[in-house]
Amino acid sequence: MSRTRTARWVRQVRPLFTVYLPVLAYVLFALFPLYFMLVTSLKSNAELYDVNAVPFWISRGLTAEHYGLLSTDTPFWSWFANSLIVSVASTVVSVVLSVLAAYPLARLRFAGSASFGIAIFVTYLVPPSLLFLPLTNVVNWLGLSDTLWALIIVYPTFLVPFCTWLLLGYFRTVPKEIEECAMLDGCSRLQSMLFILLPAAVPGVICAALFAFTLSWNEFLYSLVFVSPAELKTMTVGVFSELIRGDIYYWGSLMAGATIGSLPIVVAYVFFLDYYVSGLTSGAIK
Amino acid sequence: MTKLSVTDPRSPRRRQFLRTAAGSAAGLAGILALRQAPAYAQSRELTFLTIASFVPDTDKELKRQLEEWGAKNNVKVRLDIIAHLQLQTKKAAEVQARSGHDLTALGPGLGDADLYFDHLADLKDLADEVAPKNGGWLSPNDYLVRGKWTLLPWWQPPFPMAIRTDLLEQIGEKNPDTWEDWLRIGKKGKAIGHPFGTALGHSADANTTMLSILWSYGGSYVAKDGETVTINSPETREAMEFVKRLYTEAMDPEVLAWDDASNNRCLNAGKCIAIHNPISAFESAKKDKILVPGTQKPIAEVIDHIITPRGPKDRKATTGFWCVGIWNFSKNIELAKDFLRFHFQPENQAKWVEAGHGFNMPFLNNLTNHAVYKSDPQYRHIPEVAKVTVPPSWPGPTTAASQQIWDLYIIPDMFAQYATGRMPLDQAIAWGEKEMRAIYNSKRRT
Repeated sequence: MSRTRTARWVRQVRPLFTVYLPVLAYVLFALFPLYFMLVTSLKSNAELYDVNAVPFWISRGLTAEHYGLLSTDTPFWSWFANSLIVSVASTVVSVVLSVLAAYPLARLRFAGSASFGIAIFVTYLVPPSLLFLPLTNVVNWLGLSDTLWALIIVYPTFLVPFCTWLLLGYFRTVPKEIEECAMLDGCSRLQSMLFILLPAAVPGVICAALFAFTLSWNEFLYSLVFVSPAELKTMTVGVFSELIRGDIYYWGSLMAGATIGSLPIVVAYVFFLDYYVSGLTSGAIK
Repeated sequence: MTKLSVTDPRSPRRRQFLRTAAGSAAGLAGILALRQAPAYAQSRELTFLTIASFVPDTDKELKRQLEEWGAKNNVKVRLDIIAHLQLQTKKAAEVQARSGHDLTALGPGLGDADLYFDHLADLKDLADEVAPKNGGWLSPNDYLVRGKWTLLPWWQPPFPMAIRTDLLEQIGEKNPDTWEDWLRIGKKGKAIGHPFGTALGHSADANTTMLSILWSYGGSYVAKDGETVTINSPETREAMEFVKRLYTEAMDPEVLAWDDASNNRCLNAGKCIAIHNPISAFESAKKDKILVPGTQKPIAEVIDHIITPRGPKDRKATTGFWCVGIWNFSKNIELAKDFLRFHFQPENQAKWVEAGHGFNMPFLNNLTNHAVYKSDPQYRHIPEVAKVTVPPSWPGPTTAASQQIWDLYIIPDMFAQYATGRMPLDQAIAWGEKEMRAIYNSKRRT
């Protein structure tokens, strides 16, 4: 009896040590930056400057002054809207193009298809710090400087290769036999892709879209170079431009901007987490 | 479904639509091919790229002046502001595309004049016009690069010593003047938990202070000819010995990782007894109403500024030389010059300096005596600091090589190698000399 009770107790307690505590440590580690941003954004400047104050919590009362400064002294909400417009638009464009690129690479056999796949991924590896100079010429030639269109056109240059590579792997995990059945029943290649493959590959598409959105949302260099007017800046550049003034850093407002800026990403991942995980792990095992 | 016949009354409308559509498409194609708006839609626009000022009201005043000038001249104007750390990237992109803003901030340092020599408009006429109205340029020969005025020196933040008067009193010190005085004060301060603070890593402040010390001990890194590297000298050895003592006896090791904001934070947090820095720390302490830790006393009330220290041989300082230029690929060179003419009028300069609380001191004699420097006792030494301020390449001229030595932090690295004990003295100097020679040799024009 007592042995049974002990065994039951062990069964109940074991997950605490093998699952929850290790996971808790990781969760705390992962959430710490978010927590620190939030706490810093709610502290008064006097407390932020106090070297004797404990940096991990607020001891002299909450303040919303840093959020107020963002809203009243900077066009923060315009930057937020610009980031949203650019990220959503470039994500849609990139995912559509990537589906169209990944499908033939995954399904069709043609000369050089394998090297095409590698070439697409290699283009993703070219760093933006090398590409921004020639791209400046392109954007200027198109007459798109200082418009959000510049970013919507340029972001797919690094989003499409990445999304194509991601979708390529995912499409290969969907059995081609179901498409072949559909084609036997009269589906065209395009119909087969749209109505058979894509519904089966929704997790992969959502995963690609999430990555594309995150990469666009966080992008800094192209946004800095191609857009100058204050009202057209994206959030990453706007916050940096207005709140770092030489040797004065507006830490509270910087953290307030970072906190608000992280919300859309947090929300997107919370809603689509299951798709994201299944999109990433598909193809990992067969 | 109704089928339209040729007699259908809607037919002419269709033909008209097709004609209009064809015309519009041709027009649009023309606009796209020329990448230029049609004549009736064109208006004059002047764009100005500058850095986010350390004192935000400066930007507001500059914008006001630009808009006032635009309204007077019927020119659409746009002032774009970016953080100073982003300026290099933006300039490189604009030069690459040969397109962008008409007017641009240049710097820090006069090196852009050499680096972008082929892309900047000649401003000699403007320089000659501006000087007499403002009592002349402070050191006009310093601003000529390859014998030309490719930029106008715009503003500098003079580098005094920012000190805590209450802590100075507590350790029984008064009227410090030499670097040795500051070493003594730093030692006493460190003993009571208030070390001296100056950056010794990769930051503009580290460049500025290490150069000041080097010159004060009689050293320099390049000769007047702008080619001969002179860093390997007994004076450099003396300066480096001093910095080693300053680092080990009067400062905390954290200074090796400081950026430009760290010393401000150290002073305003109540930790540092003194920092070598412009008035920005004091200004932000006032703005943010920061208190002396453990008291209700505003820390700004116990911060003072005194002249940059003297060494055994000299008293010299440098700082960020912020400049303004006009790209020669701008379509509005004359308009841009006209705005600069307006901005450099004495009354506009005066308003602009006042808005910046004197942080932005122009390189013009009359403006160094602006009333703002008498408005607050803490600013009394600022004009004197400006008088001993020289470009970072002193005594050599500013060149792309001198700018590269600044940008790569060779001077602070050399001092830090020895101060931290990573290299013996001779090895650290030999390392610095080798780096500098390589840079000067690579930039030598044949």
